[in-house]
Amino acid sequence: MNEVVIDCLGEACPVPLVKAQNKLKEIGLGDVLIVQIDHSCAMKNVPEWARKDGHNVEVEEVDDGEWEVIIEKVK
Amino acid sequence: MSETTTTSSAPRRARSRANRKPKKNQIPIGLLVVLGFVGIGLALAAKSAMLGFFWITGISFGFILQRARFCFTASMRDPYLTGGTSLTRAVLIALTLTTLGFTAIKYGYAIKGLPIPGMGYVVPISFATLAGAFLFGVGMVIAGGCASGTLMRVGEGFQMQVISLVFFVIGSLWGAHDFEFWKYNFISKGKAVFLPDVFGWFGAVALQLTIIGLLYIAAVKYEQKRSEAE
Repeated sequence: MNEVVIDCLGEACPVPLVKAQNKLKEIGLGDVLIVQIDHSCAMKNVPEWARKDGHNVEVEEVDDGEWEVIIEKVK
Repeated sequence: MSETTTTSSAPRRARSRANRKPKKNQIPIGLLVVLGFVGIGLALAAKSAMLGFFWITGISFGFILQRARFCFTASMRDPYLTGGTSLTRAVLIALTLTTLGFTAIKYGYAIKGLPIPGMGYVVPISFATLAGAFLFGVGMVIAGGCASGTLMRVGEGFQMQVISLVFFVIGSLWGAHDFEFWKYNFISKGKAVFLPDVFGWFGAVALQLTIIGLLYIAAVKYEQKRSEAE
């Protein structure tokens, strides 16, 4: 099981989502993708998309206004 | 809903959480800011009741937008990007509420024979409306937020959107500067439509709510279709 971190700090709304979508296609089954974000909007749409897609998702606020979205690719 | 049994388990984690600095306690600052809001509000209200009212409504709007992560940009963009329409539906519900509220206010004035407030906003629609809406749509997706969203994220301290804000101000000033030209040459060529004049008060509300309802159903169907396709 690999862990891939993508740094989207300072990137505005659709960018973290698109990066996460592209990265998730590349990684293997069971790998974990960690998306670092500080844009409150991405905090909503990244988990929403990943959950809808059926992956396991966890959001953690690592600092004030900074989050890590942890996505485990399950399919 | 495609979430079945697997979602209850959290992702496995191998990461250490050692390098995490403790968060600062923001409550004292928050209390100070609230006191500041109240103080400024009282000062404004002493000058004019309307100013105080604007202050309160402005702060309430900002607070709700921020807490709800409400985003008009996302409501138009996420159906395409994520297949999720929760914000789209939230905007439709907001439109329903404002339709009812504004109709109540305007109808209240109309049956008393008073001039209807807000009629200055009934402006001609034309091809310029479409062109402007398209440009605005492109711009807000690139800038990462519409007007309210940009303001809200500047308030959150998101630096990139300070740039958006600067150009938002420049663009607005530029637009205001040239507005007479556009109004004379393009906007005034269109026709202003006030729905109650055409369909009657009940007809106008019924029509608008029907369209919103159909859009809502379309949003739900679209979301189901997208999650089945994946």
